[in-house]
Amino acid sequence: MKIAVLVKEVPDLEALVKVAEGGASVEVEKKRCLSFFDEIAVEAALRAKAARGGSVVAISAGAGTGVEAVRRALAMGADGALLVDDPALGGADSLAVARALAALCRREGFDLVLAGRQATDDEAGLIGPMVAELLGLPCVIGVTALELEDGAARVSRETDRGTEVLRTPLPALLTAEKGLAEPRVPQVMGLMKAMRAQPPKVTLAELGLEAPAPTPVAGYRGPAKRPPVKLLEGEPATVAAELVKSLREEARVL
Amino acid sequence: MSIWVLCEARAGGYRPATLELLSQARRLAAAAGGPVVAVAVGDDAGAAQALEGAAHRVVTVQGGHLSPYAADPWVGALGDVLAAEAPRLVLFGEGTRSRELLPRLAARLGAAAFTNALGLEWDGGFLLTRPVYGGKAYQTIRCGEGTCLAAFRPNSFDGGAAPVPETAFGEVQAAAVPNRVEVLEQLPRESRRVPLTEASQVVTGGRGLRAPENLALLEDLADALGGAVGVSRAVVDAGWADHAIQVGKSGKTVSPALYVVAGVSGAVHHTMGMDTAKVVVAINTDPKAPIFAYADYGVVGDALQVLPALTAAVRKTAG
Repeated sequence: MKIAVLVKEVPDLEALVKVAEGGASVEVEKKRCLSFFDEIAVEAALRAKAARGGSVVAISAGAGTGVEAVRRALAMGADGALLVDDPALGGADSLAVARALAALCRREGFDLVLAGRQATDDEAGLIGPMVAELLGLPCVIGVTALELEDGAARVSRETDRGTEVLRTPLPALLTAEKGLAEPRVPQVMGLMKAMRAQPPKVTLAELGLEAPAPTPVAGYRGPAKRPPVKLLEGEPATVAAELVKSLREEARVL
Repeated sequence: MSIWVLCEARAGGYRPATLELLSQARRLAAAAGGPVVAVAVGDDAGAAQALEGAAHRVVTVQGGHLSPYAADPWVGALGDVLAAEAPRLVLFGEGTRSRELLPRLAARLGAAAFTNALGLEWDGGFLLTRPVYGGKAYQTIRCGEGTCLAAFRPNSFDGGAAPVPETAFGEVQAAAVPNRVEVLEQLPRESRRVPLTEASQVVTGGRGLRAPENLALLEDLADALGGAVGVSRAVVDAGWADHAIQVGKSGKTVSPALYVVAGVSGAVHHTMGMDTAKVVVAINTDPKAPIFAYADYGVVGDALQVLPALTAAVRKTAG
């Protein structure tokens, strides 16, 4: 069984983010890692391989980014990695990235494509289902359990309405939710080896794709600053009464 | 310049997230000069009469294969309707359905796509705002000439825009599209509460509650407020509560009018799931806890004592 995992390299959660004066751009500290849900997808892919045999390939697309993400997947035990690396993907919208990933998946051919439910930076959750649609594959998002059968996958997921157990024919694209699999910590040897890996790169032109227009960003701003917190101390009953009064009369949310 | 809203039915009417999007669409349409079109598919079309006044046009998409909801037939049906009408904007309320439908429709239509958005304005063009880098910055995007699909967090807009004087109702028969994903089991979540991501009041607790039985204190306050209960990652990892109600990076993102958070230290993991709440009340024994930097009101004290006192005070005012 040939398995692809779509992975994204994102700024670490602790990375400093600074909006430039005037809001024309944003500067992000270069502390990068494999996105949280993608790491779960890699683990799920490795377990699927352990159960059914085959191979796991980590795939990422970006403008000079993605190497760290696929190296992490390699360190965890992925058999190979591929990158779409093209300057035109810098600032490109999700559909352009999805088209690049889909083209590479189509060229390679996979029985199962896994991805994270969303990336931790933009939390958009667009890439997985977009790639599924572009490849004409059935798609289940937010998978919390995966069991492979012959030519099909049995999966569970949480929706707004409750829990569902579904069966999809393969090939299919599934996106990983927390709970699907606990990502393993790579062994030191694996990390060392992955650090030196130079995954093959392809450009958009090599995939027969045109350079996309960048997302029309009008500007950035920092998060709205809250006024300094009003700290209340004292007897719980007194504090609670005072707080409820403020929430009613000052904040007007009760 | 038409603005479409995908309408999701609930309890004989429509989701509050749907109604606030329709309201914002009417507000923008008045400035941008285009009709608001409400589109409801399958079972969601049943209550369409309730949309009288909410949009200039209501389009119901019918077909036996559209009920109950399944992604493949819905993507097929909505894809056909949107391709034929080429609206400028299509608005969705964030939820599991928008997460499934929006990206696939965008891929099918070649449309621009944005999720998790919080703001939509008009200044001669449509401007959309969404958080990036886990909410450490907000990005404003100028929507282009083509179709743009956008999903918004519930509670992003006021619901009070004036109704339109006249609503035209129309029906579209969708071509049959097979559903490839088979439903083997469905276990509906039994809850008397509003869904966590849509609630106007959310009460969240963390490890500071000390034992799983103390989560009942969150339930009591949520009941008094008429809101929903959330928990921190630590509580889920400890096995005290289900991941379905986790707030934060690896859980849900909430944007309520009032967010009460007790016994949570305030790591980025948590705050990126709640920092767009309008008013935040934090309860923590440690006056230096980072959560107070994200709060409007802070109570330095033990959650086990403060929560019941707060519940009593809320009930007293309500009663």
